[in-house]
Amino acid sequence: MTEEPTRDDARGRVLVVDDDDDMLGLLQRWLDGAGYDVTIARGGEEALRLLGTTRPDLVVTDLFMDGMDGLTLVARVHEDNPLMPVIMLSGHAQIRDAVRATHLGTSAFLTKPVEKDDLLAEVERHIRPRRAAGAGPFAQSIIYASRVMAELLEQAELVAQGDVTVFISGETGTGKEVLARAIHQASPRHEHPFIGVNCGAIPEQLLESELFGHEKGAFTGANNKHEGLFLAASGGTLFLDEIGDMPLDLQVKLLRVLQDFEVRPVGSTRSYPVNVRIISATHNNLEELVANGEFREDLYYRLNVVPLHMPRLAERPEDIPLLLEHFLAAHARRAGTPRKRFAPDAMAYLAAGAWPGNIRQLVNAVELCATLTKGDIIPLQMAQKALREEPARMKTLKDAKAEFEHNYLVSVLRIAEGNVANAARIAGRNRTEFYKLLNQYALDPADFRASTAGK
Amino acid sequence: MNERITVMVESDLEDLVPGFLENRRKDVARIEALLVGRDFDALRKIGHSLKGVGGGYGFDPITDLGATIEQAALQQDDATIRDACQRLADYLDRVDVVFTD
Repeated sequence: MTEEPTRDDARGRVLVVDDDDDMLGLLQRWLDGAGYDVTIARGGEEALRLLGTTRPDLVVTDLFMDGMDGLTLVARVHEDNPLMPVIMLSGHAQIRDAVRATHLGTSAFLTKPVEKDDLLAEVERHIRPRRAAGAGPFAQSIIYASRVMAELLEQAELVAQGDVTVFISGETGTGKEVLARAIHQASPRHEHPFIGVNCGAIPEQLLESELFGHEKGAFTGANNKHEGLFLAASGGTLFLDEIGDMPLDLQVKLLRVLQDFEVRPVGSTRSYPVNVRIISATHNNLEELVANGEFREDLYYRLNVVPLHMPRLAERPEDIPLLLEHFLAAHARRAGTPRKRFAPDAMAYLAAGAWPGNIRQLVNAVELCATLTKGDIIPLQMAQKALREEPARMKTLKDAKAEFEHNYLVSVLRIAEGNVANAARIAGRNRTEFYKLLNQYALDPADFRASTAGK
Repeated sequence: MNERITVMVESDLEDLVPGFLENRRKDVARIEALLVGRDFDALRKIGHSLKGVGGGYGFDPITDLGATIEQAALQQDDATIRDACQRLADYLDRVDVVFTD
């Protein structure tokens, strides 16, 4: 890794390949001066290695090099990246080579000594149009080098141009909202609001009013008229996160809004037209919820027009070192402290981690390492500590629910002093259901009776 | 004799030029050594890279001399190479660089 690939390169990234250091320095300086993000390789083998990690938008290579020559390099580059533009430089103006290079998919063939203006004109002409077409590079905030992310973002960028409804699946902490924002930013709606709402975090009644708005006096406590997020996001994008947690009753109302493009605030007699793009997301398996009758099938199809899947961090291990470096640098900037580094064994340890909490867990681990390490180098032990402590902090929803349920049952049994009928009544369950729960958590009511209480 | 040669180079290359010229002085020494061993393949490569890089930095005579060396190496013409090498050494001795914006 020669540099930190942030994707905020203004004009695109160019990989320059030459076995002559003076030539490399010259080409790098020219391209750098013209605003390109330049990576250099001193030969074909190194270029192929860098191709996977730096993901250039264009390759400039010499034809005659020791080791792998330029023609072989073009062929190898195009094996995996058939559309990669390649500009070939050669000291010999031999037509045979130029023809062969063109046949192999070289975009341009320049004779050395190369004039600066000629080179820059060819780079400008051939660098992937997507760099020039958009308002800026897509998804600047997403750090990646992996192919799986590159493919996902390529799809997402295409989708962004249109107005189609997008559904993002992926585990908690994978960055679904970051992707949703990137799509909004690259869409024609980017000058209008992006509003996100976590459907799982708001109680049902409030969620309805939050989404659709309410009239003054619509319900107890509705002291003012409330516009609702559908109207607040007008012209922009409404991001419905954790849509799988939306109650069924509300799903019906949402479906109606999506069908009619109208929203009727709670307590209102009139409807208002809505103009929003919907991006929804969930960590749940929505198909399973549909099969279990917990999610409406018609709503599922209405939302799942273009499905995008955010991979787990463990599915993109090559991105882990980049992300660690990125968040470490971000921490240093925020804290105003010198930037720390991971010791090589610490980096290797973290890169091989399972990261069940995905990027969110990684951010926490980096923060912990950066905060608790006194010196400049974060040692292996600190990395191990960070990773060990993280899973406890990053419980899955299922585990968190189970823990809550267990503690709740213990409290109820204490209050009822081990009387199951009373405990079940407090919990609002019948005895059979309550016994099932006790079994599930291996709780014995006898342990809570007066004679044994407090043990 | 010993008349100075002034070359205008864009100022964005200012920090690269001293290293570039130093490498060419090393090339002179390498060419002389390779001539002793009559290693025409290595001489051709040096000529080729001089030809490719000289003009880019603004030193067109280096490109021209590189082309001469490359061509002469193909014909195993050591007299021409020796002469070109001499002229390269002479050029490097006399060149002054002025950086322009």
